[in-house]
Amino acid sequence: MAEADTTRVPADQKKGLDMQKLLAPLALVIIYVFFAIFGRNFFSYTTLVNILDSSYYIGFLGIGVTFVIITGGIDLSCGTVMMAAAIIGGTAYKTWGWPMWLSLLLILFIGVIFGFFNGFLISRLGLPPFIATLGTQMVSLGTGSIISNVRSATFPARGAPDSWFKSFFKYITPNDFSFPTGALLLFGMAFVAYIVLTRTKMGRYIFAIGSNKDAARLSGVDVKKWEMSAYVVSGLMAGIGGIAFAAVYTTVMPAQGAGFELYAIAGTVIGGTSLSGGAGSVLGTMIGVYIMSVLRAGLPSMDLQAQYQTFFTGVVVIGAVLLDIYRIKRASEVRILTPAQQYREEVQGTIAEKTQALSLLTEEREKQLLKGEIARMKAEMNGVYRQMRSKERAEQKRQIAQEKEFEKIIKRELAQK
Amino acid sequence: MKNIDKRFAGVHALKGVDFDLYEGEIHALVGENGAGKSTLMKALTGIFPKDSGEILYLGQPFNPKGPKDSLDAGIAIVHQELNMMDHLTVAQNLFIGRESMKRKGKGWLLDEKAQNKRAAELLSRLNMDIDATEKLANLTVGKQQMVEIAKAVSHDLKVLILDEPTAALTDREIDDLFVIMRDLAAKGVAMIYISHRLDEIGVITDRVTVLRDGEYVGTEKTSELSKERMISMMVGRVIYEEPKSHSMVAPDAPVVLKVSNLNAGRLVRDINFELRKGEILGFAGLMGAGRTETMRALYGADPSTGMIEIEGTPVLIREPLDAVRRGMGYLSEDRKRYGLALRLPVSDNSVMAAYNELSPTLLLSLKKLEDTAAEFVDKLDVKTPSLQQLVKNLSGGNQQKVVIAKWLIKNSKILIFDEPTRGIDVGAKSEIYSLMTELAAEGKSIIMISSELNEILRMSDRIAVMCEGRITGFIDIEDASQEKIMHLATQRG
Repeated sequence: MAEADTTRVPADQKKGLDMQKLLAPLALVIIYVFFAIFGRNFFSYTTLVNILDSSYYIGFLGIGVTFVIITGGIDLSCGTVMMAAAIIGGTAYKTWGWPMWLSLLLILFIGVIFGFFNGFLISRLGLPPFIATLGTQMVSLGTGSIISNVRSATFPARGAPDSWFKSFFKYITPNDFSFPTGALLLFGMAFVAYIVLTRTKMGRYIFAIGSNKDAARLSGVDVKKWEMSAYVVSGLMAGIGGIAFAAVYTTVMPAQGAGFELYAIAGTVIGGTSLSGGAGSVLGTMIGVYIMSVLRAGLPSMDLQAQYQTFFTGVVVIGAVLLDIYRIKRASEVRILTPAQQYREEVQGTIAEKTQALSLLTEEREKQLLKGEIARMKAEMNGVYRQMRSKERAEQKRQIAQEKEFEKIIKRELAQK
Repeated sequence: MKNIDKRFAGVHALKGVDFDLYEGEIHALVGENGAGKSTLMKALTGIFPKDSGEILYLGQPFNPKGPKDSLDAGIAIVHQELNMMDHLTVAQNLFIGRESMKRKGKGWLLDEKAQNKRAAELLSRLNMDIDATEKLANLTVGKQQMVEIAKAVSHDLKVLILDEPTAALTDREIDDLFVIMRDLAAKGVAMIYISHRLDEIGVITDRVTVLRDGEYVGTEKTSELSKERMISMMVGRVIYEEPKSHSMVAPDAPVVLKVSNLNAGRLVRDINFELRKGEILGFAGLMGAGRTETMRALYGADPSTGMIEIEGTPVLIREPLDAVRRGMGYLSEDRKRYGLALRLPVSDNSVMAAYNELSPTLLLSLKKLEDTAAEFVDKLDVKTPSLQQLVKNLSGGNQQKVVIAKWLIKNSKILIFDEPTRGIDVGAKSEIYSLMTELAAEGKSIIMISSELNEILRMSDRIAVMCEGRITGFIDIEDASQEKIMHLATQRG
């Protein structure tokens, strides 16, 4: 069947996109200002550092998960992989006596290995991402516990020897002024990820795969390789997150980390990355992650404890996804206009043209004339439209009634048979 | 059915078609792709309401609002693709939605025993040798089809429509099916039999109605109708454009692509052909002849066996990636699903295959990409407000041009155009035709699959005709005619 060969007006959808892009940052600012005004002791440097502090690891995870989600996949294992990597690194340092730098490299390495594992399962063996990463979630949780022998791993406390890596994430001056360098590190990484996604082949292919995997494959894109790479990035980010976690919290407990991935995914989704793939941005993810952090820091300042924080985070996630669905639906909707609506659109078009012409006119008298004409057209349009529409509605009602009548007759006839 | 009319947005699919069917008759409905067979049946079963005309059923006006209405009235359709649940048993499939219940049908629990008995009775009444408790997945396709027929018949049926019922069956199964059809006819059930297999029509049907381009051509008794006459009724269409008079390929043009013994499943069997530089090789055939499947196998999109030589060198093509590297480009018949990333902009889509060539550096040179995209958008005259426009907002013709741009930017030598003008308006169609002619003149080789004989005759230098997974013949354009193509397209290989 021939599709209607018309170019739909994209203005509507364009607006929606811009709105979506602005909405998340706006929400972040509004929430922050809200707590700053109504929360007790919220608007302070310490709280800000707190907000930034509590976001490193979720932020890193979020960056990785963004890559995966843009391909149309999901990574449920990043949280536990992060913790497994951290605890294995800690064990290497404490129990096996590895030097700190090597232990940290090991953390990165473990993350990357799990990324490869996920990527292999999904791109080569064809497992659905949800299942594959769910499996990896459990496997990594177990691996961490096995290797650490179910003992917690403690990284050196600040000031102790080998604690130099902590300064990556928080720099404390001799006169006890703390500076959240970790935030800078996270932003730097986010910037690199942004460049990769928008300015490299890898990024383009990741978007192409998420938008239409079949078309990408038939265009000669090595879909397996690039899909795999997204999971490897996620694994690497989990590794970096592991180092950040070790730096901020010092002690890593075994069997920890389940649930972190959900915060990372939530942040990604709040930031406008579409779970169906093909659309998203790292900047959005960062904002999504900070919206959650601000909630986490802000709600206690209003005497609402942790349980409220999860509650509101959930509300924000649902809201963000609903918005996304609504936006996609509106963008892809084909409206079928009735004659009355068509008439109105047409007249509105001419009125818009005339209004534009109005601004070009300089002579006052001509302006007045044109204004009068526009007003007349509007009045006429409204009248005619109302008449046409009410006729259409009546006709519709009549048709429905007729159909019901017809159904009754059929049923009666069938009953007689 | 009298004077049935159906219009879709811009397309007049049925133009005053008449059709009549007697009790106990097997009536064939034939025509080329797009002749209106399916649309007519959809009007009869209420899937699409007709726009005008009337249907008299058992002497009464009949206006089904949907498939349920027609089913209630005793009209059922069995499609080529089976619509049943593999993991359920035959009996469960037969009575889905009207299961036997315990306590004489009034209870809350299912009565599998009674249902199996009911199913067994039905199957034996129809002389079908099928176990009612067997899982459907364990039956052959032929048996599954019979279950579908049994399901239709169980609805106290008067009219049964069979849409390409034999396409997936073996000869043995076809014989069994015909026995059951004759049996049903003897019981007074009227059947409408849609098929491309003209030989079978001669065997099983009583009368034949031919449609062409949505118009009624005629109804004849099968016994008085030869196969040649049937074909000429099907194809005798008005040709708007002159077909190509002679091949434009230079006599000494080298062979660019040679395919030997390509096999991939049921629809790609022992395919052999050569494609020369600057040639447009048309692939004609009816729906389901295996043309798209052949090209997908050749392109590495589906697994296959066989030998492929490009410019004299044997090549191994296991993935589309390999094919693209060797200079092939594929324009899918379903461009939205296989050709374009709809949510990405025009620029990204047009350079998608050529990142390596355009920007070998780590960081993409965005300007180079944009400039190239702009150059080809301009060259192909793609109507888009900007390069950043999302492809899904373009019209069909312009989307197709973006796909073509993708392969031109990649500088592919062998282009496979699968139904290049499907869903495209007339103006864009002729633009694409002249573009293809230009490309061939520049020395690119083109394989064009088309279901429109007009298009095949107008564009091809040579025509390969397929039927049921085999190439049944090649025709040089000088000797080509609609009749010859249709003859080969209905000839079982």
